Amino acid sequence: MKVYDGSQVEHAADPEPERRKVGIAEYEVATEGAVLTTSGLGSCIGVALHDPHSGVAGLVHVMMPSADEVDGGDPAKFADTGTELLVEEVTAAGADSDQLVAKIAGGSDMLDFSENGAGIGERNAEVVRATLATLDVPITAEDVGGDHGRSLRLESRTGDLVVKSAKQGIDRL
Amino acid sequence: MKVDVQSLGTFNQLAHEGAQEATGSLAQMTGMDAEVDVTKISLVDRQDVGEELGSDAFVGVQFGFEGALAGETVLAFDEASRDTITEALVPGGAADEAMAQSSVEEIGNIMMSGFIDGWADYLGATIDHSPPQYIEREGADILPASVAGERDQIFVFRSQVEWVEETIRFYIYMLPEYDSLTGLLGEHADAESDAIPIEKLETFNRMTRSGTQKAADNLGMMAGLDVSAEVTQISFAPIEDVPKQIGNETYVGTVVEFTGLPSGYLLVLFDEQSAINVAEALMPVDPQEEGLTEQHEAAIEELGNIMTSGFVDGWANVLQQSVDHTPPKLVHDMGQAIIDPLAAQLGQHQRHAFIIDSKMQTDGLAFESEIHALPNEAELREALQELQVDRADQTEADVEQIF
Repeated sequence: MKVYDGSQVEHAADPEPERRKVGIAEYEVATEGAVLTTSGLGSCIGVALHDPHSGVAGLVHVMMPSADEVDGGDPAKFADTGTELLVEEVTAAGADSDQLVAKIAGGSDMLDFSENGAGIGERNAEVVRATLATLDVPITAEDVGGDHGRSLRLESRTGDLVVKSAKQGIDRL
Repeated sequence: MKVDVQSLGTFNQLAHEGAQEATGSLAQMTGMDAEVDVTKISLVDRQDVGEELGSDAFVGVQFGFEGALAGETVLAFDEASRDTITEALVPGGAADEAMAQSSVEEIGNIMMSGFIDGWADYLGATIDHSPPQYIEREGADILPASVAGERDQIFVFRSQVEWVEETIRFYIYMLPEYDSLTGLLGEHADAESDAIPIEKLETFNRMTRSGTQKAADNLGMMAGLDVSAEVTQISFAPIEDVPKQIGNETYVGTVVEFTGLPSGYLLVLFDEQSAINVAEALMPVDPQEEGLTEQHEAAIEELGNIMTSGFVDGWANVLQQSVDHTPPKLVHDMGQAIIDPLAAQLGQHQRHAFIIDSKMQTDGLAFESEIHALPNEAELREALQELQVDRADQTEADVEQIF
C-alpha cells in the first residue's frame, strides 16, 4: 500500500527495474518503471492498470467479490472496492483516467464446492469487469477462469502482464 | 478464563502493527524496504515452538518483558540477513564479526523497543523490558528455552518479515506468559457470547493432534510405513493472511469440504517429491515414466481420502458431533492458489479464521505431509461451547480411548 515514486533507491548503475511484491488484499502503484508481482492467485484476481502515456501502472490482488456482502475489511480485499481504489490511486499518481487500460488474470474455479450459483472465482471476475465498465476503463486482455493457479508480473514500463501457471506455462498479455 | 474472537483479532492486529513499527525502524536505519508478510497467533505445544525455523543458523536479540504483559521476545535474522543489515549500516562491515554483532544489537534494540512500546501504548500501561541480549543459535534454539508456566501449550505471536528486493526473511517472536496473556485477553473480551473457554481451545488442539495421528496411522497402514504426527497447532489470523500459511511451492493433495458442526475445509497436501515417494510406496511396480504421473495422482487421491477420514472421524468423536465430508478433490498447483478459494468462501462470513495445521513425517522415507483445516469460525465456537467440560476432562485423561 505504498506509492513507489522511485526516489528511495538510486538506479543510475542498475538497469534492473525495481521489483515490488503485492500481497493478497494489497495494491501497489509504480511510476518509474517498477515491476509489480503477485503470486498464487487461485480464485483471487489480479487487476493491472496502465496508462501508456504517463507510464503509471498499478496492480491489486483482490480476494472476494463485493465489500457489501461482508462486514468490514480492507477495500483492497474486494473486487469492487479494490478496483475502484486502484483506479483512484493510479490517477492520483499521475495517470490520465481517459488513457487507462486494464488487464486481468486469475479467478479460477479449481475448488468450487458451491452447490448452486457461480463460484467465487467467476463472481470475482464478473464484479471486476462490471466495476471497470462503470469506471470506463477498457479491458484489453484477460486470462481468467479455468482450474489452475497463476502468478503475475506487471511490467509498468510497457504495461505487459506476464501470467505464469504450473500447467499452462508463461503467457504475456 | 475465556477468550473472545474479537480480542484475538485485536491482539493479532496489535502484534502486526508492532512488527510493522519495528520493520519501519529497520527501513529508516538501513534504507532497505521490508514488509511484514504475515502475523499470526498460535497455540502450540511447547516442544514444537519454532519448528518452522528448521536447522538454519540464526542471530538475533532476545529480551524479557514484564508489567501489563510478561514474557520473552526474540528478533531472529538468518545469517545472510545479518550480513545484509551490517552492510547497510556499515559498508564493508559484514566480514568483521564484532561489527556484525553490534549492528544486529543496535538494530534489534531499536526495533524491539518499538514493538514493545506499541503494546504498552495500546494497553495504556507500562511494560518494562530487560536489556537486549545478543544470541547466535540454530533453528528453534534461537527462541527462549522456557517461558514461565507449567502448561504444555503456549501462545506464540509470530511475524514474518520479508525484504522486498531480496529473498531474505526475519522473524519476530513474542512468547507471552500464559496467565499474563490470557488475563489480558479476558480483560479485553467485550462480547461474552463470542467467548471460548480457553481450556477448550487447548483440548481441541490436543484432539487435533490425535486426529492427525489417526490420519498418520491410516497412511502408515496403507503404505507400510511408520508415520508420526509431528506438529499440531491452532492459529488465528485475518482471512486474507490464510493463504500465506502455505508456501507457494507446488503441492499435490486433496481437498474436501466437511459439513456438520463445524463445517469447513480440510486439505491434505504433499510437496511434489513427497507425493512421488509416498505414491510409489503404494505401487506394486515402479512406474514407467519419470516424475508425477496419473498413477501417482490416483494413489495420492486414495491416500488423501483415508487420511481425511481418519482426521475427520477423530474430530467428530471428540466434538460428539457428526461430521461428513465430500469426496476428495485432487489438487496439484501452487500452494497459495489451492487455499485462496477456500479462504474466500469462509471470508464471506468471517473476518478472521482459525487455521489448524498438522505435519507428519516418517524416518523410513523422504516425505512430509501437511494437513490444514479451515473450520467455520462461528461454528467452531459453537462446537467448542457445546463440548462438555467433563467430556473435555475425560478426553484429556484418556485420549486413546476416544479414537
